[in-house]
Amino acid sequence: MSGLSTPLPELAGGAHARSGLGWPHVARVIRSSAVALALGYVLFGCAALVLFAAPLRYAWQASVEDFRIQVLREDSQRFEEVFRLRGADGLAAFIGERVGMQIAGERILLLADAHLKRLAGNLPAWPAGVPAQPGTYTVPVMLGGQRAMSTLVRTTLPGGYNLLVGRNVERFAPIEHWFWVGLAGALAVLSVAGVLGALLIRRALLTRIHSIQQTAAAIMQGDLSHRLPARRRGDELDTLAQTINRMLEQIEQLVHGIANVSNSIAHDLRTPLAELRSRLEELSLTRPAPPETFAEIDAAVSDVDSVIRMFNALLRLAEIDAGMRRSEFVEVDAADLAAKAVEFYLPAAELKNLSLSFRERGAMLLRGDRLLLAQAINNLIDNALKYVPEGGTIRVEVQRGSGDAIAIAVLDNGPGIPDAEKPKAAQRFYRGDSSRGTPGVGLGLSLVEAIAKLHGGALALADNHPGLSAQMTLGGGTPEAEPRVASGRAVAVSATPTATAFDRVTS
Amino acid sequence: MKILLVEDNERVRKFVSKGLEEAGHTVDVADNGRDGLFLAASERYEVIVMDRMLPGDIDGLAIIEALRKAGHRTPILILSALSDVDERIKGLRSGGDDYLTKPFAFGELLARLDALTRRAQGDGAQTALQVDDLRMDLLGRKVVRGDRTIALQPREFKLLEYLMRHAGQVVTRTMLLENVWDYHFDPQTNVVDVHISKLRQKIDAEFERPLLKTVRNAGYMISAEPR
Repeated sequence: MSGLSTPLPELAGGAHARSGLGWPHVARVIRSSAVALALGYVLFGCAALVLFAAPLRYAWQASVEDFRIQVLREDSQRFEEVFRLRGADGLAAFIGERVGMQIAGERILLLADAHLKRLAGNLPAWPAGVPAQPGTYTVPVMLGGQRAMSTLVRTTLPGGYNLLVGRNVERFAPIEHWFWVGLAGALAVLSVAGVLGALLIRRALLTRIHSIQQTAAAIMQGDLSHRLPARRRGDELDTLAQTINRMLEQIEQLVHGIANVSNSIAHDLRTPLAELRSRLEELSLTRPAPPETFAEIDAAVSDVDSVIRMFNALLRLAEIDAGMRRSEFVEVDAADLAAKAVEFYLPAAELKNLSLSFRERGAMLLRGDRLLLAQAINNLIDNALKYVPEGGTIRVEVQRGSGDAIAIAVLDNGPGIPDAEKPKAAQRFYRGDSSRGTPGVGLGLSLVEAIAKLHGGALALADNHPGLSAQMTLGGGTPEAEPRVASGRAVAVSATPTATAFDRVTS
Repeated sequence: MKILLVEDNERVRKFVSKGLEEAGHTVDVADNGRDGLFLAASERYEVIVMDRMLPGDIDGLAIIEALRKAGHRTPILILSALSDVDERIKGLRSGGDDYLTKPFAFGELLARLDALTRRAQGDGAQTALQVDDLRMDLLGRKVVRGDRTIALQPREFKLLEYLMRHAGQVVTRTMLLENVWDYHFDPQTNVVDVHISKLRQKIDAEFERPLLKTVRNAGYMISAEPR
């Protein structure tokens, strides 16, 4: 709508003031889509009216006319009969009688000889304008001293006599006249109402769009907490406002997420980088013997590798958060990925005397990112391997849920995660107290959660009585962000078993 | 081996070319795309190492495509700071043969270059692989060492096959993850080592000569020569 290209104050003024209408203003109004739409409807209505009226008029005209003429012709034939029975004089007398009996010129009758000299009837003379051949004509005649349009049937009688039987149709003229007046009136009313309606609609629309504009301006100023007003009318503008509000929620969350990540990165990467720096600085200061120096250098390279891995993981998380990978989804068999993962970790599990198994339940297809899903399953198993003590059991299960949803769960009978820590467990860089001393940077679970979210699902940590049940649900609906509390990343993680679409994976 | 290195970052260029020369190869260097393309087209190299981001916003992939169109079939290893799997696929589709993300360990680069040139020499349709008295029947899926049959699980078989196809060359853990397990990420735990030691148990433990060797800071290698 071109009206939106004007700055706000003028818009407010334009909505109220109709004065000062120059052509540019009018042109802008016309171009607004509400008005254009309304005018379109008006034109359509007018066209419909005309299309309806025109055939009606002609049909009426035809039938009425036809009937009239039919009657006249019958009359004509009757007079012909009289002529045959009684001759010209008889007919003249008959006509005279008829004329005398009429009240007000209903019938026009005229009998004339071969030279068109009046013999009998209620016309003063043979009217001009009547063609020579027998037929039906509509011509003006002088009737009772007044000019009147009439329909006449001319007949030729044996002996050269001419007969005119006709009817004054001037009386019907007003009806036609009023018909056209009525049609024009209807069109006029339609047009005026349409234009008025258009202007009213435009004003209503502009008011709402104006409020949307104001909110958007406030948001662009930097205050992301604004939301568009949405009246609960459920119409298209409301739907639009709601959609935009959800988008704003998501953006607000992402911005907070980014701020969190920046803080996390700053805080958590500083530590290994600081360690690295002091290692190298100490090396530079103390300058030990070559063997020790090279050992320190190797250790420093290893430190750098850790930091690089952390960067890669954070980058991957950022990509996932931004939803950048959703367009690469293909059909993936989650059961196949799980089986491969179990096979991969089996030797490591055997080394620690852990039982690691996967229950085959057939193919579990879903649309997703193969690499990310493999990584997620690997992370869950890896975690279990890290924290479950010797002799423990780890089970991997893949199940189908309601609709297209699929659940991948890794269950163990290890120490589990204390209820208080469960919500925090998937936060970036979070490492539980029990994890001190084990390798890793604490990004595993947050990656799994991000991957689950990317696939329209969530990560749920629950008690396995004893142990941990880490369940990733995928594809249970469209991956749209629901408005939720911006309390950080660990929203989907439950501290207690929740009633989800799946049976608790136990037994 | 005659190697062409196209890399604009001076430190990386010096580091890599020095390392390759110390490993016994001849190295030509170019620090920009045009010179690189010129050298690649006019000289014969056994392998080319091509950086993706070259000065003047020239994309290394475009150079690779140009070389392939002109009919050059030299194996090319792409160096890139873009670690995304999609970028890797893009690189391989442009005509590259392998993709290494920066920062990389030199041992990784060396191992992959060896693997590329070995592949270029063509394995063809082999029905069996043999190193010393270890013999792998690819059709019958059987492994025999000396006169003893060794029972291997499918994944162990695949692992041994990859090692034997690169017999005498260093195979890094990353290469194993990519080619044996199709994992294009780093699981961060040394699970591959456990698989290797299990395999070693089966093919080396009860025999005189150990074939499956660990190369420090690099990876593994199957070879008959004593290290």
